[in-house]
Amino acid sequence: MAEAAQVTTTTAPAARAVKATKVYGEGPTEVRAIDGVDVEFGRGAFTAIMGPSGSGKSTLMHCMAGLDRLTSGEVYIGDTELSSLSDRELTHLRRDQIGFVFQAFNLVPTLSALQNITLPMILAGRKPDEDWLDQVIDAVHLRDRLAHKPAQLSGGQQQRVAVARALATRPEIVFADEPTGNLDSRAGADILTFMRRAVDELGQTIVMVTHDPLSAGYADRAVFLVDGKVVDEMAEPTPARVIDEIKRLGAPA
Amino acid sequence: MIRITFTNLWARRYRLLASSIAVLIGVAFMSGTLVLADTMGRTFDGLFTDVYAGTDVVVRGESAFEQGDQLQFGIDSRPRIDADLIAQVEEVDGVAVATGEVEGYAQVVGSDGEPIGDPMGAPTLGVVWTDVEELNPMNLVEGGPPTGAGEVVIDRGTAEEGTLSVGDTTSVLTAAGPVEVTIAGVALWGEVDSPLGASIAAFELPTAQELFGEPGEVDAVSIVAEDGLGQEELRDRVAEAVPDGVEVATGAEVTEEGQSDVREALGFFNTFLLTFALVALFVGSFIIYNTFSILVVQRSREMALMRAVGASRTQVLTSTLIEAAVIGLIASVLGLVAGIGVAGLLKGLLAALGLEIPAGGTVVTGGTVLAAFAAGLLVSLAAAFIPARHAARVSPVEALSAAAVETPTRSVLRTGLGLLCTAAGVALIVTGLFADLDNAVAVVGPGVAITFLGVAVLGPVLARPAARLLGAPLPRLKGVAGRLARENAMRNPRRTASTAAALMIGVALVAFISIFAESARASIRATIEDSFRGDFVVDSGSFGFGGFSPNLARDLNDLDEVAAASPVRMTPVEVDGEQTYLVGVDTTVVEDIFDVGIESGSLDDLEVGAVAVFDDRAETDGLRIGDTLPARFIEGGDQELRVAATFSNRDLVGGDYAVGIDTFDEFAPGTLDMSVFVAAADGVDTDRVRAAIDEVTAAYPTASVLDLTEYQEQQADSLNQILGLVYVLLALAVLVALLGIANTLALSIHERIRELGLLRAVGMSRRQLRSTVRWEAVIIAVFGSLLGLVVGLFFGWVMVEALGDSGFSRFELPLAELVIITALAALAGVVAAVGPARRASRLNVLDSLAAE
Repeated sequence: MAEAAQVTTTTAPAARAVKATKVYGEGPTEVRAIDGVDVEFGRGAFTAIMGPSGSGKSTLMHCMAGLDRLTSGEVYIGDTELSSLSDRELTHLRRDQIGFVFQAFNLVPTLSALQNITLPMILAGRKPDEDWLDQVIDAVHLRDRLAHKPAQLSGGQQQRVAVARALATRPEIVFADEPTGNLDSRAGADILTFMRRAVDELGQTIVMVTHDPLSAGYADRAVFLVDGKVVDEMAEPTPARVIDEIKRLGAPA
Repeated sequence: MIRITFTNLWARRYRLLASSIAVLIGVAFMSGTLVLADTMGRTFDGLFTDVYAGTDVVVRGESAFEQGDQLQFGIDSRPRIDADLIAQVEEVDGVAVATGEVEGYAQVVGSDGEPIGDPMGAPTLGVVWTDVEELNPMNLVEGGPPTGAGEVVIDRGTAEEGTLSVGDTTSVLTAAGPVEVTIAGVALWGEVDSPLGASIAAFELPTAQELFGEPGEVDAVSIVAEDGLGQEELRDRVAEAVPDGVEVATGAEVTEEGQSDVREALGFFNTFLLTFALVALFVGSFIIYNTFSILVVQRSREMALMRAVGASRTQVLTSTLIEAAVIGLIASVLGLVAGIGVAGLLKGLLAALGLEIPAGGTVVTGGTVLAAFAAGLLVSLAAAFIPARHAARVSPVEALSAAAVETPTRSVLRTGLGLLCTAAGVALIVTGLFADLDNAVAVVGPGVAITFLGVAVLGPVLARPAARLLGAPLPRLKGVAGRLARENAMRNPRRTASTAAALMIGVALVAFISIFAESARASIRATIEDSFRGDFVVDSGSFGFGGFSPNLARDLNDLDEVAAASPVRMTPVEVDGEQTYLVGVDTTVVEDIFDVGIESGSLDDLEVGAVAVFDDRAETDGLRIGDTLPARFIEGGDQELRVAATFSNRDLVGGDYAVGIDTFDEFAPGTLDMSVFVAAADGVDTDRVRAAIDEVTAAYPTASVLDLTEYQEQQADSLNQILGLVYVLLALAVLVALLGIANTLALSIHERIRELGLLRAVGMSRRQLRSTVRWEAVIIAVFGSLLGLVVGLFFGWVMVEALGDSGFSRFELPLAELVIITALAALAGVVAAVGPARRASRLNVLDSLAAE
């Protein structure tokens, strides 16, 4: 526990949560999905949020990504506090500073792969940064698939397009929600490798929600959630250590 | 299975309720029409029963025409009878009292100097006031009965409209000219202010005879029996006392005649309204079809699962059809209830137009209920059948596949089928219009429906390229929102097409009507332009019944400023056993005023008993100059008319047979002039001629003076009133179509909910999302209205071609109107998209992403 304590970052974090609490329902049916979470996600790092089903890891991600609002507490993307933003400001924030990769259904079926990748820029009415776009496209090995519609791509290819889209705006932070959940192990490994390279070679910041110890092994750091609270952290996680940790956390107190 | 079906229905109750509205509107309109018809029918039955309540026997002339009692232009086809018959029948044993009846044209002039009542509308009648209470349908509410030649009792409706009250003096226009009268009393007709909006002026018998008939003659004699004597018994006794050519009928028989006449008149009106109800239902069926098509696709996984766990195809089919039946049932019940309201609205509308329907309970017959349920159920089931079959064909494997996949359109088969269907419809239309059929409507009507179906079948083949083309400017104009709108309109051509099809029908009918009307107007203008050689028309605005005194034409001819003036009048006549009408003109001058195109013979030979025949008619009937035609006049009886000339232009004459004024004076005396055509004297300033004519017509309140341009416009505008009604009714069909667009969009949004969530998540603003939905609707709407324009254009063209013989010389496109129609349809698309677009933009991003 001691060695996993604080992974401090030299610069300001890309995103952080302060006493973040999200409550669903009221009275007897009240559920505290996350309960006073304090967490920071360092710039240029690949962080895995881990925890069993119902631990609040998806809720935390949704709130941090501006898809959902906290009941109390604060979340920041860079220096921007999200709870005070209007829907329009949140929309712009998501468009310009956040990238998303979902477990499934990441792409607009009527648009080509390239249009999907550049969608946030198209929505903003901005020209994409061509050099950066080229780097991203080459990194995901999609150059020969750009004109294809999503239905013409395999699941792995679709997910790679989704990752490319998440990176295309050069966002402050990318949130990935079980990005390999719908893929076979080889396609999943491809995606994780690519995300690793995006951090290492392109300097991106990625936060990934997963329950898979193998996936967590690609991250720089793992944050463990149980019952809506951060219970532990681990730097340089390996699958074996993560499995041990999960066993330890899952044991009765 | 049934329980599962109903669970499904309940889960989607709002969606299904929305689609049932489409059918509901049609059902409501249909049952409203039927309820109104039954209510009016019963009310009028009651009215006639009341009016003839005290009349036991009626003595009247035998109908001149073989077809019996049919009225033409409001003119009764019975000759008058000798007034001495009143005294004669009073002596028959069992007759308590007998009075003479005379009826004729009488238009009361209001206190503002304007004649009350529209010559084209409800009749303005002069009748005899009788003191025999049993025989008098009028109940005085003010003043007393008329005494002496100058006194009249008028109905309260007329009194109110003309702000006339007892003691006022005014004039009444009659065939014999205007007469000065004093209002002696104001009365109700039965219990209403005025019967059916008609205006009534009641005079003493001698005055009525003088004004509306001939002294010494009456139209009929009404008889009250002595107590205890049956109507039939008395009828038989009276019949023995009257000479040949006089008919005796019981009060019950006359009541029945009046009732069936009104029923026939109402029947036409109801058929007219029912046609539009059918159009609304037809459009509604497209929407049901569309709703079910989308639902079936959305639920194909669910259906596949059902199949996988053991449901048979029949069970899936039945379950879908039961859902449709429930929709139909809901639509029928609500439609029937709404229909009663619609009947009230229609009644109010008629009252506003001056057609007051006496108060009476609303009548909902078993037939109406049955028709409402049959229509609602049949339309829903028929429309859902194809989607239901698709549902049944879902293979169990699809339960395992990731996404719902719509089977691709087999475009070759579809194109073939669509073309075949369209061709069959067109063939029916052409056959109906050009082949001389007895019941053309029975062929043309289904032809129109089948053509619409054919175009709808072709729709999906056209939808993708059309959406691509129509949406081409959108990516540039609206960025990604525009691009997505275009892609969304293209991604499912079948859905786009069937949504557009509903709008197509409404637009096609509106376009057809406006093209038809524009062509009619242009043809009328061209006709007048081409063949009118005169300068002015003095018009009464009436057609047959009414008009002004023949003295007007005589007075005009006396003017120095006028070179020639020919009256135009009409009378019903039976020629060769066929009921038609005869037109009378002044044959000595008519050719100076308009070009009738004499083909053979000469109008100079048109002395009394000679007739000029339209040349096509002459050819068809094998008539030559010198042949004789048997004709039967109401007053003049059987006559032989000699064919003296043939003419090729009947547009101004208006009929197949024309005779001289002398012939009218001989065989149809007392006929009023509809209009007088006037040619100015050479070299006289037009303004001076007009001033001179105005001076003469000042004494004839129904006469209005029109120059050539004004006459063209008046004739061309005569269509406007009926057109207005048609447009309002077609708007209903368009409204149903808009509901369809809104419904389809709502369903599509539901289907694409995760996609929308994704778009919002990656940064699409609400405004952009709304714009996407809105522009998709615009593409669909414009596609539908363009299809409709093409179909409407064809209908208009074929109709004008078919009526080429009936004076349709021009095919004119009302370009401005067509552009407006298309623009309105596009705008309507925007309106239809408001709700769905708002819902789409308000979606919770997370819920959308998590949606199944």
